[in-house]
Amino acid sequence: MSFAMSLKTLNREALVGILIIVLVILLGIIVPIASPNDASGFVADPLAPPSMSLPFGADHMGRDLFVRTFAAARLDIVLALLGASVPIVVGTFIGVLTGAAERKIAGALWDALINALTAFPEIVLVLAIITMLGGGWDGLLYAIWISRWAQYARLARAKTLKLHESEFVQAAKVLGYSRIRILAKHIMPNVYSEAIAYGLSDFVFIIVVIGGLSFLGMGVRPPTPEWGGMLAEGRIYLQTTPRLVLWPGAILSLTAIGVALFAQGLARHRKEAVR
Amino acid sequence: MQGIIKQVGSFFQHSLVSRVLQAVLVSFFLLTIVFFLLRLIPGDPAMVLLGENASMGQVEEYRKLLGLDRPPMEQYVDYMSNAFQGDLGVSILRRQSVVKIIASRLPVSLWLAGSTVAMVFVLALPLGLLAAVYHRTWFGYFFRVTTSIAISTPIYFTSLVILLLLAVKLDLVPIAGYDPEFPKNLRTLFAPALTNSILLAPVLARILQASVIDTMEEEFVEAAIVRGVKPLRFMWHYLLRPSLAPCIAALGYFAATVVSYGVLIEIIFNLPGVGMSLIEFVRAFDYTAVQGFVALTGLLVVATTLLADLLNAWLDPRANLK
Repeated sequence: MSFAMSLKTLNREALVGILIIVLVILLGIIVPIASPNDASGFVADPLAPPSMSLPFGADHMGRDLFVRTFAAARLDIVLALLGASVPIVVGTFIGVLTGAAERKIAGALWDALINALTAFPEIVLVLAIITMLGGGWDGLLYAIWISRWAQYARLARAKTLKLHESEFVQAAKVLGYSRIRILAKHIMPNVYSEAIAYGLSDFVFIIVVIGGLSFLGMGVRPPTPEWGGMLAEGRIYLQTTPRLVLWPGAILSLTAIGVALFAQGLARHRKEAVR
Repeated sequence: MQGIIKQVGSFFQHSLVSRVLQAVLVSFFLLTIVFFLLRLIPGDPAMVLLGENASMGQVEEYRKLLGLDRPPMEQYVDYMSNAFQGDLGVSILRRQSVVKIIASRLPVSLWLAGSTVAMVFVLALPLGLLAAVYHRTWFGYFFRVTTSIAISTPIYFTSLVILLLLAVKLDLVPIAGYDPEFPKNLRTLFAPALTNSILLAPVLARILQASVIDTMEEEFVEAAIVRGVKPLRFMWHYLLRPSLAPCIAALGYFAATVVSYGVLIEIIFNLPGVGMSLIEFVRAFDYTAVQGFVALTGLLVVATTLLADLLNAWLDPRANLK
């Protein structure tokens, strides 16, 4: 009930965002199942134009572009969810622990370490980790986990340090609650709700990185349908058959924009609720 | 009075020094992380590089080249002392200093970065100002929606759409390639710089907008309106200049983003810059070259962030250097 209530009070941006996300997810689930064509099956002449049975036409190898685009939606969204959720959980946990340990010098050293980890340009660091670990969707995920957790650790540490000085935590201390109880019951829930809010906008970034690395040929490998990989394959036909690029690119952008609008709307909503 | 000035001065100096020391410490950790990057390789890098048919002698030679034949602690001390002398290792495949290889590819990337910065400023300053002044009207709403669309669209899609429009449909710019001669290269740089700006200008404009909105609530702005300060002077002295600090603070972020996007842009527009050389390293499994590249770009971002902080402190001594 409270969810329905909060849906009603949400602003237009967040609603449009949700609508787009739900639409893409639904199509990503339904299209590959309902369509008679397989995502990697050769069903028509190469570059066959759009028709009733092939709404987006065929790609350069005669595969159904419509099915491939939405099969990619499924894969990319699942990968991005996996990529975002591990750093949120692990990074935030580490951040809360380091925020709770009140040691000055160790704290300064830790801050320097986190600043160092977050200094690298993202694409460069992910590329480097993939070079060392090996590519593929699993290597890509490991690279994203290794490079992203520090953002959350920084955020959680700052928030924890701030919460430690807040009145309700001080009150809990005076009441004689154990440190573990204060951390688990008073600090963690607050920090995690903020981390998830940040994670939503990070999701946009991660889905773009997954596509980008696959575009460079270092992530998900063809023939598996993936938005970035499809853009890389279709790029050669930009002059003659731009729809090979336009369809997967448009759906990828739409997904990213949907999540971004939702995140932005939610942030405004939270801000207005505080006021 | 004299005492106060002295105190403030010493505080400023102290925080300035501590800020620089902080950056040195961060660089130290950064290089340590980069050193351990090589340890992520599962198994023996020399074996991976040479394949299964390599002879023992070849493997030994590569292990020596990578420095893997010595105890780890010795390797680490060596790596760090070399790095602080500006030596970030040797490409195992080209047997050439990584710094030298990158330096030879730098001009193209600098041209791209320079034209991007120019374009971003031209677009973002008026946009951010307008969006701040009219943020309660339809323009504010329009600004919010269009900037989030521009920011969220992946750069590799934006660049392909730009190519499709400017190169294929309108035939205004070449579809790819680079002309190293000065006035001609601007034609080849226009599309990639525009792509970069479509993603970066909205970010800067948004930071500026938020900051100008805060500035507009200050009393000195009201006082200036009441006094009837001339429009242009009002814009610059009372609105823009006091609002620049957050934009400068974001310089480190911008440096990191320009490098990240540069890799993709240079591949798509076929510009033989630094980013393209990274991809060449990655494809050839040139571990040490990739390692050196990561270190260099990380240090670049740390240096830019430090510079931004110092710049802000210089512009506004009240700024907290911590």
